[in-house]
This record gives sequence, C-alpha cells and structure tokens, in this order.
Amino acid sequence: MSIKVDPNLMKDLKHFGLKDASKCFHCGNCTAVCPLSETGTPFPRKLVKYAQMGLKDKILQSSEPWLCYYCGECSDRCPRGADPGETMMVMRRYLTSQYDWTGFSRRFYTSEKFETMAVVAVGLFVGLLMLLFAQEFDWQNASLEKAWPAAGMEIADLIMAAILSFFLLSNVWRFMKFTMGDLLTKIPLRIYASEAKQLVLHFLTQKRWAKCEDRTQWIIHLLIMTGYTTAFILVAVLLCGGLEVIGLNWDPLRFQRPFDPTTGRDMVYPFFHPIRLLGYYATISVLIGATYALLGRSRRSKTPYKNSHGTDWMFLVLLELTVITGIAVHILRIMNIPFALYALYIIHLMVAVPMLVLEVPFAKWAHLAYRPMAAYLKGVKETYYAELEGKKAEAPAQAEAEAV
Amino acid sequence: MEKKLATYICTGCGIGDALDIDQLAGVAQKECKVPVVKTHACLCSQEGVDLIKADMEAEGVNALMIAACSPRVMYDVFRFDGCIVDRVNLREQVVWCQKPGDEDTQMMAEDYVRMSTAKIKKMDLPEPYQPEEEISKDILIVGGGLAGLTAAKEVSKAGYKAVLVEKEKELGGFQKKVAKIATFPYKDLKDNDVAALIQEVTSDANVTVYTGAKVEKTAGGPGLFQVTISQNGTKAEHKVGAIVMAAGWKPYDPAQLDPKLGFGQSPDVITNVLFEEMAQGGGLKRPSDGKDVTNVAFLQCAGQRDPERLPYCSSTCCITSLKQALFIKQNNPDANVFIVFKEMRTPGQAEDLYRRAQEEGVIFIRCQDPEVKVMGSAVTVEALDELLGETVVLENLDLVVLATGMVPVTAFGEDYAVVRARMEQQEGEEKKEEEELEVPQDAILVSDILNLEYRQGPELPGLKHGFPDSHFICFPYETRRTGIYAAGCVRRPMGVAAALEDGAGAALKAIQCVEMVSQGKAVHPRAGDMSFPEFFMQRCTQCKRCTEECPFGAINEDEKGNPLPQPTRCRRCGVCMGACPERIISFKNYSVGMIGDMIKNMEVPEEDEEKPRILVLACENDAYPALDMAGLRRMNYNPWVRVIPMRCLGSMNLIFIADALSSGIDGVLLLGCKYGDDYQCHFVKGSELANIRLGKIKETLDRLVLESDRVRFETIAITDYDKLPQLLDDFAETLEEVGPNPYKDF
Repeated sequence: MSIKVDPNLMKDLKHFGLKDASKCFHCGNCTAVCPLSETGTPFPRKLVKYAQMGLKDKILQSSEPWLCYYCGECSDRCPRGADPGETMMVMRRYLTSQYDWTGFSRRFYTSEKFETMAVVAVGLFVGLLMLLFAQEFDWQNASLEKAWPAAGMEIADLIMAAILSFFLLSNVWRFMKFTMGDLLTKIPLRIYASEAKQLVLHFLTQKRWAKCEDRTQWIIHLLIMTGYTTAFILVAVLLCGGLEVIGLNWDPLRFQRPFDPTTGRDMVYPFFHPIRLLGYYATISVLIGATYALLGRSRRSKTPYKNSHGTDWMFLVLLELTVITGIAVHILRIMNIPFALYALYIIHLMVAVPMLVLEVPFAKWAHLAYRPMAAYLKGVKETYYAELEGKKAEAPAQAEAEAV
Repeated sequence: MEKKLATYICTGCGIGDALDIDQLAGVAQKECKVPVVKTHACLCSQEGVDLIKADMEAEGVNALMIAACSPRVMYDVFRFDGCIVDRVNLREQVVWCQKPGDEDTQMMAEDYVRMSTAKIKKMDLPEPYQPEEEISKDILIVGGGLAGLTAAKEVSKAGYKAVLVEKEKELGGFQKKVAKIATFPYKDLKDNDVAALIQEVTSDANVTVYTGAKVEKTAGGPGLFQVTISQNGTKAEHKVGAIVMAAGWKPYDPAQLDPKLGFGQSPDVITNVLFEEMAQGGGLKRPSDGKDVTNVAFLQCAGQRDPERLPYCSSTCCITSLKQALFIKQNNPDANVFIVFKEMRTPGQAEDLYRRAQEEGVIFIRCQDPEVKVMGSAVTVEALDELLGETVVLENLDLVVLATGMVPVTAFGEDYAVVRARMEQQEGEEKKEEEELEVPQDAILVSDILNLEYRQGPELPGLKHGFPDSHFICFPYETRRTGIYAAGCVRRPMGVAAALEDGAGAALKAIQCVEMVSQGKAVHPRAGDMSFPEFFMQRCTQCKRCTEECPFGAINEDEKGNPLPQPTRCRRCGVCMGACPERIISFKNYSVGMIGDMIKNMEVPEEDEEKPRILVLACENDAYPALDMAGLRRMNYNPWVRVIPMRCLGSMNLIFIADALSSGIDGVLLLGCKYGDDYQCHFVKGSELANIRLGKIKETLDRLVLESDRVRFETIAITDYDKLPQLLDDFAETLEEVGPNPYKDF
C-alpha cells in the first residue's frame, strides 16, 4: 500500500500544541531511551514521522500515544530539541478530537475562545437550573437538603451521567474501531473477556507509569485519580446511599444526610466516620495533585510541564476550583452561614459540572477511558498473536506426531 | 672538500649502560680510522654541542658522526652548517630495542658505526640547484571561478604577481549562474557576492587577467614555467614560478542517468544546475506550461554514489537542494517541498541549513531508490521511505529536481596512453616491451587545460575518478606535478566556503614553492632538501626507466631517449636512482655507491658462529619511524637486523640486494608503504615500483644460485610498530629454515 503525504497536517497539529516535531531527524534515541516503548509497539519516533509526513490515517490507527505517560525522558535526550514527548502529548489531544464524532472536541481544542465560551455557557446553564429547581432556602439554618434534596440531585446526576457516558462510550467505540481495525471482530470474545481484568487494573493503578524513571508524576496522578474517583463515588453514587429512585439505597452510606428537625440543620457524620474521612481524603489528594500540577506548569519545572496547551490549563483550573469551592461549602455548612453556603454550592456545581460534561467525553479527561483501554487492547492483541504463534508451532508438531 | 671525520658517542639515555662504549670507540678509532673519537654523557646539551664546535674550530673536523639518538629527533641541535653530519641511531634502534650488555647488541652498534663511516666517506655536501635562467616568482592561475579568483586575490595580497586565465568570456565560473548561495554561517541563504570578488581582482594591478583564453603550452618546471596563453588568436608568453590549477567542474551529464529518474521524459524533470539557471533567470515556473510551482520534489544522489555512474559523493548537492528548497519556500511559503535522500550530508555548520529547512516545513523522505513516473503531463515520485517502511507517493509534482554531481574538468578527454600508443604506431616504433618491466602508467586524460610539455603526458595525472590529486589527506592541494597546485572543485567537489579556502590554500602553496625553488630547495615532502639527482650521461643507455618511473614526471626526454632532468620539478625521492640499471643517477649525499659501501661494511660473522645477518631497507617516511616507535616502546626485536633508511623504497636499486647477498648477508627485507588505491607512499608509487622491480630479482638470485625466500617485501604503516618484532622474527625464522648464505665464507 502506498502512502500519500499531507504537508498540511503539521499546520493543523500546531493548533493542538505541536511545536518542534519538524526538527526530528529520526536518530531514534527517543524510542531507545523510552522505558515503555516495546518491540511490537515502538514510539515516539514513529509518531513523529507520521506527523512530519501528515499521515492522518496512520495516526488514527495508533494507540501508542495512550501508552506514553510523558515522563519527558525522550525530550531530554533528543539531540535536535524536537521534543518527542510533546509530540506524543499533541497526538493525544489530536486523537481525542478525532475519536469524537460530534466535532465538538475539535473546536474545544483548536479554539481557546470556543473552549472558554463552552465552559461559561454550561456553567451558567447549571447555575440557572440550580436556581430554578431550588426547593426551599432556609435563611436561618443552612440546609442543602432543604434547598436541593438529595433525591432530586440524584436524578440530575443520573441524567448527567447518562449523557456523559453516551458520548464517552461512543467515542471509546470509535477509538477501538480505529486502533483495532479488522482485528476488532477477528479476535474472539473469549480473549477480550479474559483480559478484562487488565482494564480495571490499568484504570486503578496506571501501573505502566510506574516503569518511568521519574515516579513522582505517577504518584501525583494516582492521588488525583483516587481522590477524584472517591469524590465521584461519594457525590454521584452515594449521594442518597445508592439509587433511591428505585429504592436501592442504604442510609448508612448516604453522603448527603437528611434534614434533622430537632437541630434544624442537615445531619453531619462524626469526624471519624468513614464516609466523612473518605470525603477528606478525596479533597486533600485532589488539592495536592492539582496544585502540584498547576505550580509545575506555571514554573515549567519539568519536561512534561514545559508545554501547556489551553486545555491543560482549563482542566486544572476547573479541578482546583471545584476542590476549593467544595471545601468552602463544607466549612460554610459547619459554620452555618446559609446565604454564602447556597451561593457557594451553586458556584461549586457551576464549576464541577462543566468540567465533567466537557472534559470527560470531549477533552483531556477522556484519557481516563482511552489510556486503560489502550493498555487493555494491547494485551488483547498480544494474547491473540501469541495464540496464533502457538497454533503455528503446534501444527507441524501435530503433523509429525500423526506421521509417526 | 677534504673530509676530516669525527665520531661523537653519546652515553646518555641508557646508551652507556647497555653498550661497552670503550670498545665501540675502539671500533671507530682503530678499525674505521676516525681521527677524532669522543664520548659525552649528554651530547645534545649545550656542553656537548660546544664540544663538537670546539673540535670543528680547533681540529678542523667537518664530517661528523653523531652516535646518539634517532635522526628524527634533535635534528636542530645537531645541525652544523657546512659540515657533513650522519646520525647513528644507537638509542631507538639499538639499546632501546635490544638486550642491554649483550654481545649481539654490541655487534649491532659496532656495525652501525662501520656503516656510518662508509656512508660519510661517500657523502658530499649538497649544493643547491641554481638554473642559469632567472627564476620567476609569478603565479599562473588557471580558471577564474571562485577558487581561482580567490587565489589571485591572495597571491596579490601576499605581494606576488598573478596571471589569471579564464576560458569563458567572463570571470566568475559557475557562480555566475547562481542566484543565492549557501555558505557560512549557513543560517539562511545569502546573496551571491562573486561580482564583488571579480571587481576586486580585475582592478588589482598585480593580476593580469585573460578571459576567453586558454593555456596552449606549459613548458619548463617550477620557477621556470614558460606558459603560452592564446586569446582571440593572439598569443602571449608568460614566465611563471608556480601554477594554481582551479579549472573547475562540469555537471554530470543527466542524459546518462538511470531512466528511472525520469530525466528527458518530462520537461518538468530538471537538474539542480537547471534549477539555478531558472532561479536566476526570473523566477521559478513550471517548464512545461509556465505555471506557478507549488509541489516540488528533490531527488538526491542522482547518478551519484552509484558504481555505474559517479561512484563518489559530490558533497555539495545536499546543501544545494536545501538551499533550493528554502528558495522555493521563501518565494511561496505554502509550497510543498519534498527532499528524497539516501543520507543527508551536511558537513560542519551546514547542518544548520538542514535544521532551517526542517523548520520551514520541507518534508524529508529517506529512500535509497526513488522512481519518477511520468504519465502525460503528470509527474509522480514513488519512494520507499525507510523510516516509515512503506512506499510514499508524491503526486502532482510541478517540478522534480535531480541532484546531480560534479565532475572535475580533468576527467574529460582521451586517455593519453591511447594517444601515445597511436603516435608510436604512426612513427613505426617497434615495441621492445618484452624485457621491460610493466610499470603502471598514470591515468592522464588529454583535457586541454595545461598542455604540459612533460614526457609523461600533457595534463595532471588523476588519482581517483579523474581528480588530479596526489594524496587527499596528507598533501592537500598537491598534484603529482611539482609546482602545480589544484584548488576548488577540480580538486574535490566542494561548496562556496571550501572553494574560498581552497583558493587561498593553493595560493600559499604556490608561493611556498617559488620561494623554495629560488633557493634551490625541494618542496614538500622533502621540504628544504638541497640535493638533487645528477646523471652520469656518458654511461646512459637510453633505457627510459628513469623517465618512465619518475612519479612526478620530472624528467623529459630528447628524441634519442636521453633523459633531460628538470631539477626544479624534482621531489628528491630517488626513484630514478633506484630505477637506473646502469646506476648513473646519484645525489651528493645519497647514491648507489654509498648504500653499497654501507652494506659491504657490515660485519658478516662466519657460518659456524650462527649469527645470521638481515639487511633491512626501510622507507624513511613510515617504516623507519615505526622502527623508532618500537624502540620508544622498548619492544625487543631480532638482533640480526641492520637497518639502512631509504628516502623512499622506490630508490631501492636491485644492486643493493645483489651486494648484500653476495657479501654473505642471509636475507634482505624491504619495508615500504602501502600502495595501490589509498596508498600511503609519500612519493605516490615508490613502494609499488620497488615491488615491481622485485619481479626481476629472481634473475639475480638464480645467477647467485640462491633461494627467493631470502628477499621479502612488506608494507608497513607508521602505526604498525607493534607488528614489527613479529615480522622480523618471522623473516629470521624463514631464513633459518633456508639455511645460512653460502657466500659467507668467500
């Protein structure tokens, strides 16, 4: 098959933050030095070549960008200053926009104006909804349960989760189709199933990242990831202690506790209650992680922090704001300052919801699906090929045995 | 000159500890009858030198044997003008490489003293060659391109006069056709500034310029070149001292290219040279229909590094293509420019131009074997990209530029060997080749550039691919004709920056040459040598060996075949001396008789003493220093060897071998430089000639009824010193198997 060169792709990639890839002269030092690059799936040089030649299809078929965790070793060792690590990062942004069939992601990445407008619009819409659907503002005693009962919020959560999952999963499906090609259906389901635990494992541990020389990045990321997952479970799943709407809930796990008429306020767990502690863990770890990354990017303290795209900033700022407003909500609730609490709570959601709705299916946060998926599919492919090899080796042996 | 000998033995550096100095002094005094024999603990000190000077004054000694360290060191200390000086290498080649206090070591030292005495007796002080004619210090520059113009400028700046001959109507050479240039610091394209250089040279009163002219005849030699320049039917004569040959290059003929590259199949497939003409003549347009150019592919190494076509890299085409690619990008930033290369070769700072092209968005495709496909008016390039592992198709190309290479102008013209054969046939000369040795002839093409009146041919001999080089690495600018220095693309393919440097370099070489010649001294590599070969013509048999074999074409011939030596062309290697079967060629301080006497004065122990003797004739340039190096590293080697240095192994006359074997020496080892392609010989083909002469040694050996194993030829580089002990031992072992020389007892 022959390849057609598209000199214009480089120009397009520049919108996604590409700067130095044209400097590469393909010595291959980056691939050699990368602790994650393997014989079957070598990177990053290959992707740099694709970029230089404008081979969009090849890029689309590559899952390698998701296997890179951007430790920056390759960029440090690059003799030409071509910054291959940055190219991989750009590839992830570009691929995210390509997997998205709505075209929203592309606009989000290529225009900072659009990005800001989208966040503001969703934020304002959420604020409006919050005001519209507010039940009863108790100006004497601060009660979120009275203003926005957990049962109602749960329904809102479910709607949001459904929309979000629909987009994210459809994009993931496209990702699978692009990267697997014919193999997607060729590989028996059995292998997909047997490797499935890998998907969970990679999601929970990002264990590939631990292979990179600089492990702080992995630890910071693990903090953010576990913190956020905890928060997500508390807020989205356990808001009413499960699914109250179909009666599948268990009160002792309820994150937002009912109004207590005796005290005239929402109930609060004692300090050492596991749910409350989990809440603190989530808050502190995300706060540490996001602050570290924000400071790192603003000081360009590490190779992976040297090049920041608008979307990198947006994501981190939203995350940081979500945590800070969350903390404020918690304090105001304990201090019982109704007006400020309600205002902050609305702001909290005006930040958190756009972050989820925009970042998870369409932007940086989509990596939560693509990364473990790429590692999982790599495993699936490898198992499949290993089986094929095994069969090939077996066949002559069998023929021999029959001959005897 | 009445010689009064004196021997000075140094006992420093371990010499005194390893040898019986009294006995050694006794040999000099009693056996060799040297009237003054003295020892000193540190002869190279002021005190030691003063001792010698005092003897020169008080005793009138004028022939000094300095028995101390190697002649390769302390040569400035032991230089006594007006005195014959011979250095006996007791340190590096006796005490540092032999067992101290051993009987054999002592015998070796004593032999060297005997040999030196014999040598000094046959040596005379050289008198510099001064021709009757006045020597000219003007420099002729052939070629008015960038290198030639620079040479003219530099010659004038150094205070000499230049004569510049340019074939074309205008000065400037190829650069006249060039729009933009790529040169230091290679950050961006630069404007061509050849016009300023032309202006500077033409307005220089020290430079006489002939345009639309050619050199019709060059006679004589360095200092005495008589040049006939013809211009528009008129002739001018100039006497010059040296020549800078900067005649330039021609583009490789694209019609010879592989049809796969598509030249001639579409007007849109052009060469890099045509590109320059287009770029200068009012911008780039598609040749087929004059439309704008937006898709361009450059194919590197077109016909180059291809054994069938140009086997070498022209070194500039990568930079030229980068330059042209940038030129396109600067005119039209949206143009798609592809460079298909085998390897990008951007030596030195030119790498920055490569970076620049990358940054401007030029796309590079690494492919060993691209193919151009022409379908009607559509031109496509298919290239297997090695970095991708897949075939890349470049479609709708407006222009395909083939990066063709440079061919030196000296690579054109009929082979002089053919011309000569034809002439001989016409004259009805019978070939009497059968008895003669087949000496490989230099590749000389009749390219009509210098028209030398040289017996060996009218132009400079080519070394590889027609470049008139003598030794690319060791002797830049040197050709194989003394006093003629190549510069610019005729020397090797090069870009603007290198051509400027070349012009200056060759000009300085030429100035060096005229200065040396005016003092009767040799130029590189025996720079400063004042001896020159003298011919005892009464005994000449007109065999033409000397005129055929001289590596520098220094000897012309009259109609009868008598040699007509041109001493200013001579490099003093002594190849003629080695070649002459009548042994009529000698230098004042280096002759067949001198070496013969040295051999005969070696002491050859009787057979029952079981002390064989090996004569080593070692090239002074590599083998002899290698022997010194072995000593410096204290590597012990065979004690039977006796070394005689040769100016070049090519000066080895077969009589030396006959002399050695007939005086009972068991074997002769010749140590010379590597020859053939990539030769190491300082005199181009001396060691090769010595080896060819050995083909005739069988006759001598048969006459003496001796085994051919007794003579061995080995090539050795200066870095091969570590192999020497083994090499000498191997030979000694062979000789032991052959048995002692039966002539010992005669």
